[in-house]
Amino acid sequence: MFEFPRLQFDDQADALRGEVRAFLAQERAEGGFEPRADAWVSAVDPEFSRKLGERGWLGMTWPKRYGGQARPFAHRYVVTEELLAAGAPVAAHWIADRQTGSHILKYGTEEQKSTILPRIAAGECFTAIGMSEPQAGSDLAAITTSARRTDTGWTLSGRKIWSTGAHFAHYMIVLARTSPAEGRNRQVGLSQFLVDLSLPGVDISGIRDLGGTPHFNETLFTDVELPADALLGTEGDGWAQCMSELALERSGPERFLTSLIVLERALGLIARHRDDRRAGQIGSILANLRVLRRMSLGIALRLEGGEAPATEAAVVKEMGNRLENAIIEQVRAMLAGIPRGEWPDGLAKLLREAILHLPSNTLRGGTTEILRGIIARQMGMR
Amino acid sequence: MGAGLDPDDLGMIADALDRVLGDAPLEAIDHAGGQGEAADALWAILEENGYPSLCVGEAHGGADAGLCDISMLARLAARHALALPLVDTALARGLLSAAGAEPPTRRIALRDPTDPDLPVAHAVQCDAVLSLDNGRLRLLAMEAASLHPEHGAEDGAARFEDNVAAEIAGVAIPDWLTARSFHALAAFTRAAAMAGAMQGALDLTLAYTSEREQFGRPLSKFQAIQHHLADIACETAAASAAVEMAGDALAADPQIGAATFDDIAIAKVRCGEAAGRVAAAAHQAHGAMGFTYEYKLGRFTRRLWQWQDEFGSAQQWSQVIGNAVLDADDPALWPIISRPI
Repeated sequence: MFEFPRLQFDDQADALRGEVRAFLAQERAEGGFEPRADAWVSAVDPEFSRKLGERGWLGMTWPKRYGGQARPFAHRYVVTEELLAAGAPVAAHWIADRQTGSHILKYGTEEQKSTILPRIAAGECFTAIGMSEPQAGSDLAAITTSARRTDTGWTLSGRKIWSTGAHFAHYMIVLARTSPAEGRNRQVGLSQFLVDLSLPGVDISGIRDLGGTPHFNETLFTDVELPADALLGTEGDGWAQCMSELALERSGPERFLTSLIVLERALGLIARHRDDRRAGQIGSILANLRVLRRMSLGIALRLEGGEAPATEAAVVKEMGNRLENAIIEQVRAMLAGIPRGEWPDGLAKLLREAILHLPSNTLRGGTTEILRGIIARQMGMR
Repeated sequence: MGAGLDPDDLGMIADALDRVLGDAPLEAIDHAGGQGEAADALWAILEENGYPSLCVGEAHGGADAGLCDISMLARLAARHALALPLVDTALARGLLSAAGAEPPTRRIALRDPTDPDLPVAHAVQCDAVLSLDNGRLRLLAMEAASLHPEHGAEDGAARFEDNVAAEIAGVAIPDWLTARSFHALAAFTRAAAMAGAMQGALDLTLAYTSEREQFGRPLSKFQAIQHHLADIACETAAASAAVEMAGDALAADPQIGAATFDDIAIAKVRCGEAAGRVAAAAHQAHGAMGFTYEYKLGRFTRRLWQWQDEFGSAQQWSQVIGNAVLDADDPALWPIISRPI
């Protein structure tokens, strides 16, 4: 029913993994970063992003003329999974490298590609996602942000919400209505715009998350004048373009690998208090993570082949989200009864942060309920 | 014994087996406990086509497939809810052949080398049992006197006492074939079988919920039911991926080195966990109909629950790999998770 082909790493990928690990070890040793749970959303460090750019580890799959390395998806996967497993501060560039850049590569003008992509690949240009609105969350087609044609381009008006990183991002891809829905078909008449967030009329305000950190935002667009080439792709194709981003957005290792750092930090302590119950919990987590990685790699291979396996991506995200939450629950169970004085430095903080991020796993990038609906539709149930 | 057949060749064998099983009176055979005339007739066809000797070497007249390829047999047989000892016979014959002995054309059950008192699956359907002890593979005659059938178990599982059993054949084992690797290979067959049975349960539940109507519409139109099906589909996909990962590892490393052993353990863990979730959701979506003996769902779920426990449960295998992680001087999970797949 679903296809998850086998991706095999080549020798270059293995060498690359060694390089990334050496870089991370050096950064940690020099105090370059403190490992964080949910690092791709919560750990922003533009300086770190620039270091990755210098090494050619951003925009890796893009053509060289746009600042990329023309490397296979498997190589990008190696870099991203190593960064996540280490809890490295990758949030600044994550969305730009993961999906916005690839989207510009596919739909952007030559000028956008040659000016923006090299800056993303250098770790100097960050982006945000402009899909949800206060009245349109899971029901994305209900958005009311609109763009009207003018003599020089477009005028954008409306409000976007839950945009991670918009407060430091340079661009946002905004989904807006450019013509009315046709009766009950609301998926027509939507278009995507590449919006420079420094333009007049853009007002960004932070929203503090459950743990008190302002990582996401509400963005108000008041008659923002956009140039004609801000239209990304084809007018009216916004819905389909959005959906094609989702395979990139939902299938990567950030959907199952961000809680692991908490367990890794606790592992030595657990080993000193080992028993079969704790060993069993560790074995189960290991099994689940390794299998999900195999599936996620299979999607990377299909993406490379030009496919957009949206249902398989939903499968990986649904199970990955569930696993992330289970890992933290299991870590807490394994730590129960171990005297606090024996806990390694930083473990309590890491665990607390992870707990406060858990509710967002099964919400952001498509809720569990929406994902299950996608999977059911693929099986012909809707 | 080696790296496994070419995927196209294996696919052709699978398609042919799929047709054979699709044409056979499997429900009647199942309800007769995998014994009797119809069972014997189907076994003769399977034997004629060489399926029980899939992993037997060319020198011994077999198809010379790798032991990794046994997952194809296990998945297909389980998806059809086949009540015959095809998979265990194929593994037993493959192991005998790998050890240099020409396997007899018997139906052979497998004795768990880690605990000889555990019930032997398919025991009453077989006429021999393969045991590994004291550095030897021993093929013992299965006699009624030495069997104690487990009440209510699937596929004629029975405890087996070997003090009266005659040895049909005995052969020294190669270095790699330890009790540990024998146990792992048997666990691999159960993981693959669980993946196949989950696919069977998924197909059946999809069909049932699209036909059965309540409140004036098919069950499949209710979101609560869709979520059960999505859950079953996700877990089935994960089980499949786990079996494929272990199979690929085994194809590249047929003598079961440490990393391959881990991936087989991972497959048994992941499939065992998935099986519980799938069986529960499939029964919930079926309502009372699924709880009847006659309806087909039970032929999948009864086996899922039994296979969860055979040759090491998810909990036991989790402890094996978890303890191995904790044994290291500087324990870490990422180096294991990030191994090649």
